[in-house]
Amino acid sequence: MKKLTKGDIEKVDPAKKDIGKNWIKVGMSTCGVAAGAGEVYLALLEESKKRNVEIDIRKCGCQGACSAEPLVEVNVEGLPKVLYGRVTKDVAITILERHVRNKKLLHDYIFEIN
Amino acid sequence: MEKKIIYLRDTDSAQQDRINDFFTLFSNELRDTNLIEQVQLVKIADIGLYEKGVTVKILPENIVYIGIKNNDVKKIIEETIKNNKIIKELLYEKKSKQIRAVLKNCGYIDPESMEDYIAAGGYKALVKVLTEMKPENVIDELKKSGLRGRGGAGYPTWMKWNFARGMNSLEKYVICNGDEGDPGAYMDRSVLEGDPHSVLEGMIIAGYTIGSSKGFFYIRAEYPLAVERVQKAIDQAAAAGLLGSNILGSNFNFELEIRLGAGAFVCGEETALIASIEGKRGTPHPRPPYPSVKGLWDKPTIINNVETLANIPQLIAGGGAKFASIGTEKSKGTKVFALTGKVKNSGLVEVPMGITLREIIFDIGGGILGNRDIKAIQTGGPSGGVIPREFLDTPVDYENLGKLGSIMGSGGMIAIDDTDCLVDLAKFYLKFCVDESCGKCAPCRLGGYQLLRILEKISEGNGELEDLNKLKKISYAMQKASLCGLGQSASNPVFSTIKYFEEEYRQHIVNKRCLAGKCKALVYFKILPQKCKKCGLCMKNCPSNAILGSREAGYVIDPQKCIKCGACFDICKFKAVMKE
Repeated sequence: MKKLTKGDIEKVDPAKKDIGKNWIKVGMSTCGVAAGAGEVYLALLEESKKRNVEIDIRKCGCQGACSAEPLVEVNVEGLPKVLYGRVTKDVAITILERHVRNKKLLHDYIFEIN
Repeated sequence: MEKKIIYLRDTDSAQQDRINDFFTLFSNELRDTNLIEQVQLVKIADIGLYEKGVTVKILPENIVYIGIKNNDVKKIIEETIKNNKIIKELLYEKKSKQIRAVLKNCGYIDPESMEDYIAAGGYKALVKVLTEMKPENVIDELKKSGLRGRGGAGYPTWMKWNFARGMNSLEKYVICNGDEGDPGAYMDRSVLEGDPHSVLEGMIIAGYTIGSSKGFFYIRAEYPLAVERVQKAIDQAAAAGLLGSNILGSNFNFELEIRLGAGAFVCGEETALIASIEGKRGTPHPRPPYPSVKGLWDKPTIINNVETLANIPQLIAGGGAKFASIGTEKSKGTKVFALTGKVKNSGLVEVPMGITLREIIFDIGGGILGNRDIKAIQTGGPSGGVIPREFLDTPVDYENLGKLGSIMGSGGMIAIDDTDCLVDLAKFYLKFCVDESCGKCAPCRLGGYQLLRILEKISEGNGELEDLNKLKKISYAMQKASLCGLGQSASNPVFSTIKYFEEEYRQHIVNKRCLAGKCKALVYFKILPQKCKKCGLCMKNCPSNAILGSREAGYVIDPQKCIKCGACFDICKFKAVMKE
């Protein structure tokens, strides 16, 4: 890897991070993994390819809502950023089809914690 | 018209969920007004408010209405959805009680990607320190900020760093204490797993400030994922030149290495931790000399908790004064708590110092499971104490919790309801400390064991009133005479439960009863013939065949065979099984 310089770090503007991007983030800390986040993450990767749903799928740490793990955060243009909790493999597939493709939010899985 | 979204949620937990009725009401109304295409209705799982009736949130404006009745639906659609007017009577101005500073990136960035951390503003503090600040400026900022150690004792961080900085030594060390062992606490794990680079950045800044070129991460081996991610972070930082020699073109060199803790609780104590890194047996030794004078391999060393170090980058980037604007007079900034026990939304919360316990448990945690009564809150793990419900309105900071006989500790917070027995709780924590005592000093090794014996005696129904005095005496001796923090604080759970719940101890000793039903020897189950409907459900569910009788004659419990599991008590629909 190329060595970083002061300028590389200084020129970054955190406010511009993630603007206009579509992504799904899966909470993959010990708490999430224990609740089944690994399975959900793999399901999202596989199914999005199989179903031709174009979305960037990433891992992240723990958001803190442990009672609602596994947590999946979804950002799709035109819809608010949404945090889904207690996500299973099936719910993950529904997220791809309903939320990402058809731009409809899912019932009963959204957690508005903060 | 821009597309709107309405979130729906019934926040009352005591009655039947009315949300489907309201969903129908809203969708009918939307259909009638021909708005159904422009508005999406969503039933959601949690809206962050509790016991406020039926609640809706309208996006993208973020308008929250609470306590909605059937006839409000029409008004909401007509005024807010159609004409963008706010209905003042229903409006709830929601203020988040949480402030995300340490957990800012946790759950938002990819912990395995340094680019993601930098894109979120990471390592800017390091650039600032290396280009604009001298070590004494960093100390000044820390002093202004009022940051205190988040590991438990609350020692001012600037003093610790300043001592080490002032020492004249060629070698100095920075250690990050990630040996989080309190039952029910996992803040440090989440930070290490969710945002390892922020701790790294804190450590590099610490190294620059005290004049050290070598740091150690001490992480317990029970956190394999944390270890893996920290190692990845170290490798990435080294490859990018943020570790190693001449960091970012300055003449400052710094290296980091991970050392694993083998699972001893006492190794979270700083002198034992140092011994463990040196490869010796993990036992504490007397202070002074403090590690900042004579620590790892007898060189000046600073040991900071994970959360303390994770605070450093945002403190430096935003300045000490900004950090100090949050919190109380003597406790500044935010604190992460691991909220567990009988609370609805268990999890990690980050709150400003000075928030009350009630706000944490009820507004953030959503109240007690099953709408039971809260009895007490335990803070600080095995070194802490219980705080009874009378003090729920106490602002949380180091001093206030200390006054109540508990401690801030590393940040475990356990809600206790009326089905928990405090004698049992004290016994649990004491057992933990007795198991974990290293055995080096007598007060902890013997005192802890004797306390545990007495508590076991009480919970088995053989307690005497004199035992209460004995408990207090031994606790006092342990506090005064133990070598390290483990022994000094091991008796805290006993002390504080006796202080606030002596009545419960007396119930166990004098009446031989455990009202919460936790101490098996002091619980008795009986079937009340006048309430029994002779359904036989209890007999079917008894795992030890202790219930005798028939559908004609009724049922009785054989006390000889009863194992006091409570299965019959839980299953009886007619409350015919009595627990006393």
